[in-house]
Amino acid sequence: MTSKFNRRSFMRGLCGGGAVVVGIPTLDAFLNENGNAYADGSALPVRLGTYFWGLGLTPGRWVPEKAGEGYELTPQLEPLGALRDKVSVFSDFVIDLDGKPNIQHWTGQAAIMTGVAASQGRSFNRGSFDVTAADALGVGTRFRSIEMTPFGKASLSYSTRTGSSFNTPETSPIALYTRIFGEGFQDPNSPNWSPDVGTMLRQSVLSSVAEQRAALLADAGAADRAKLDQYFTSVRETEQALESQLQRPAPAEACVVPASPEEVSRSGQIDIVNRNSDLMASLTAMALACNQTKVFNVVHSSATSETYLPGSTNIYHAITHDEAVDVELGYQPLSDRLATQAFFGYSGFLHAMEAIPEGDGTLLDNAVVLGYSDTGNAKIHSVENIPMFIGGGAGGRHKKGQHIVGNRGPVSRVSLTVQQLAGLPVGEYGIGSMQTSSAITEIMA
Amino acid sequence: MTAISFKRFAAAGVALAAIAAAPVFTGHAADAVAAVTRASDDAPTIVATRRLTETQYRNIIADVFSGDIEISGRFEPERREGFLMAIGTADLSITSGGYQQYVSMARSVGRHVVHEDNRATYFPCAPEGATQADDACMAEFVRQYGERLFRRPLTDAEVAERVDLARNGAEMAEDFYAGAELAVLSLLVSPDFLFRIENAETDPATGERRLDDWSMASRLSFLLWDTAPDAELLDAARNGALRTPAGLEAQVDRLVSSPRFEDGVRAFFTDVMQFDHFDGLAKEGNAYPKFSQEVANSAREQTLRTLVDILLTQNGDYRDIFTTRDTFMNRPLAAVYNVPYFGAGDWKPYSFDEESGRAGIFTQITFLSLFSHPQRSSPTKRGLALNEIFLCTETPLPPPNVDFSIVNDVNNALLRTTRARLLAHSTDPGCAGCHQLMDPLGLALEQYDALGQRRDAENGAAIDVTAELAGVSFAGAEGLGEVLKNDDRAPSCMVRNVFAYGVGRDPHSEWETTFLEAQTEAFAENGYRVPAMIKAIATSTDFYRLSDPESLETEENQTLAAGPVAAQATGEFQ
Repeated sequence: MTSKFNRRSFMRGLCGGGAVVVGIPTLDAFLNENGNAYADGSALPVRLGTYFWGLGLTPGRWVPEKAGEGYELTPQLEPLGALRDKVSVFSDFVIDLDGKPNIQHWTGQAAIMTGVAASQGRSFNRGSFDVTAADALGVGTRFRSIEMTPFGKASLSYSTRTGSSFNTPETSPIALYTRIFGEGFQDPNSPNWSPDVGTMLRQSVLSSVAEQRAALLADAGAADRAKLDQYFTSVRETEQALESQLQRPAPAEACVVPASPEEVSRSGQIDIVNRNSDLMASLTAMALACNQTKVFNVVHSSATSETYLPGSTNIYHAITHDEAVDVELGYQPLSDRLATQAFFGYSGFLHAMEAIPEGDGTLLDNAVVLGYSDTGNAKIHSVENIPMFIGGGAGGRHKKGQHIVGNRGPVSRVSLTVQQLAGLPVGEYGIGSMQTSSAITEIMA
Repeated sequence: MTAISFKRFAAAGVALAAIAAAPVFTGHAADAVAAVTRASDDAPTIVATRRLTETQYRNIIADVFSGDIEISGRFEPERREGFLMAIGTADLSITSGGYQQYVSMARSVGRHVVHEDNRATYFPCAPEGATQADDACMAEFVRQYGERLFRRPLTDAEVAERVDLARNGAEMAEDFYAGAELAVLSLLVSPDFLFRIENAETDPATGERRLDDWSMASRLSFLLWDTAPDAELLDAARNGALRTPAGLEAQVDRLVSSPRFEDGVRAFFTDVMQFDHFDGLAKEGNAYPKFSQEVANSAREQTLRTLVDILLTQNGDYRDIFTTRDTFMNRPLAAVYNVPYFGAGDWKPYSFDEESGRAGIFTQITFLSLFSHPQRSSPTKRGLALNEIFLCTETPLPPPNVDFSIVNDVNNALLRTTRARLLAHSTDPGCAGCHQLMDPLGLALEQYDALGQRRDAENGAAIDVTAELAGVSFAGAEGLGEVLKNDDRAPSCMVRNVFAYGVGRDPHSEWETTFLEAQTEAFAENGYRVPAMIKAIATSTDFYRLSDPESLETEENQTLAAGPVAAQATGEFQ
């Protein structure tokens, strides 16, 4: 908005008519004595994240032998390090295709994020659960959710309201930084705050756009109506984001506005992708600490991952198919290295969240971060035993640090569990054979 | 209104009783909604919504305002369906992250338009006083720009809505232009701008449903210029000229003979040739040190220049794109092609010599590098792309449980070339069916590496570029070019792509098939001249015909849209 709308003209507008009342933060910022809830007894907010990487993990290299608590850190789980006790591991869950084809490098993520295998490539049969979760969790935050990919490709996102249009990811750390801490960011700890009248007027513009909804939808057929409906939802969400900026932000103790990251070149080289992932992890953790969003979705690499080891002549996806299983080792050695690197991406996010204190614990203790992939055995495109992980304490709801063996139960059980851990009132999840009301209660407090 | 209710302000944590009570925020939401809601009897019904592409957005802003406006923002990715992004955009909506970007881009346009230096250019009137609202002047401004941006005249309610927003802003800021900025924002974040909303109406003469004049004008303009209709085309829509063969032809002639037609053709080939793969294109640095963003951008430009030269400037035979040696060269590309580049200047005409083996659009860096791995060439990817792009032939997904070990084992002492490894892999009966269709085409291009550089050997073994497809033997790019040139699918694919790109759907109904067959015949008869073919399509009534309403199949829609849909079904779609 133009600088014409400064604070002075705003106050003039206010005073011209009468009273001025400056709002107070809606949340009581004071914590209880134990530091694990607000003083009024309400729980600290739970943050939800999803983190996808392509091509699964390497068979024989990640599933712990021990089930339940205290599972051993298998070679590919080593990046978890000290966080093992805050992460649960899920093995031997499967996807029921219900007669649909196994759409390679697509069926897996579709089934985990929507509870039903996709009927076709490029779209899901319905929206992904993170979006409904964000609708519930993200009320009053500036961003309903934030999507990103350290691989740098704008088509890499599995977060979708409709199954058709996917939420666009930020493709570089600097883009992510600008989105969160650039224009429109209000430092929650700044002593000076006043509502920006320009924001208010822009909100009025969006409100007027939103009011066309009923009329326009009434004129459209089913397919166009669905598209326009999503459009108007986006208008409302943007409007609400502006509205949140008209509130004095609640102070956030751990919020420290980070410096802008440097521009990095785009590359599929795995160490560069992971460096971007780590930068994005710190920025995301701070975005959560600064109450800018409560939900984030990351795609580390595409399901046909084009990442590669420095100096290699082959991309990861091709390697999973071409590399022979080493007879002595019992696994594909190059694939193993790349898979371990991909898992570093996920664990890097957990470590970044663990580094931020919150109440008597850490940000990670009040978060649920699903880690997942598309295949259980990339060499043959198997969608059985797709690696899945839940990191974070979910505000005490997660009896964390366990290895759960699925006994060929549907992956939707894990999706349902994630939602319940995030505090959402979801009783069942999935469609067809994947429909389940059976959350994994072993890990729920 | 306008939106800001007292309740909303209270919810925002700021009590603004003063503002809510002040006259500046008087609203009339009910009036506006009532005016926008159309009577159900003869309601223009939305028959398609297609999200503007990034280039369309940029072109429209440049046309309506100025090309100097810096639009920095992230556009949401598009999606290819039925070989074309143009079809995919009809499936896409706008996510909230994407919408926030549109808001921010719209703000930069708004700031530009009301900037002190630019007001005289953009405003059709001077406000009575610069520090206050002027409803009449604002209404004139909104009407003028609204029509260009929405590609149709605004209703009175739509104008009033913006005048209200502007008045509120002007009074609060004591600045007419601050209000105008809100009006611009309001236009640019509206669905009517961001989507190409196509409306149907009832033909008063026959009672049948048809595309309305404004939607016809847009379809035409986006096909030929990749932008919104200009004032003259809107006038033609307004006075019904597009309904007469002569009036329609006059407009098509005018658009095709304009230099802007080149923009349309470039946008078309950018879509068809799948240049979106440039997003995220990376080459392994050690193997391909010559690759850079500058090379990628230049390569793209080279291919577009080549196509424009053959098809527009020379009005040549479409099939020549499969055999041409003529192109344009710049310095960064010359380094990759390993050819000399003399003198100053950006681009020069260039012809590849016979020795280079380069002939046909697919021997340029764009195609060769886009359809390769970061480190190696891929005959399969190239074959698949040739089938899709030039022949409109889809390849099924590979079967599960494929063992690619042979293909990718670059250290195999016996199978040293990609070709040898691929052929060994393709003997697998499960794989052979599709590979027989893809690989020969790609194998003929094996003399070019993953960046498109010429090579004669791979791992010390000479590269063999012979291939056989459906009993026909050929060798190298030249052989491949002849195969494509003589393939009947090539011209029919081109015709199909032009039509599908224009109407934004995959044509497969009976009348569409018949229409495309006739257009393909005409294309052959005119010597495969592309401008004439595009003109023929753009002047045909079938280009504006409503599609068979697929969405009717859902029960929900039948109930909701029973009125207009029934008319459509009985009147036109039998």
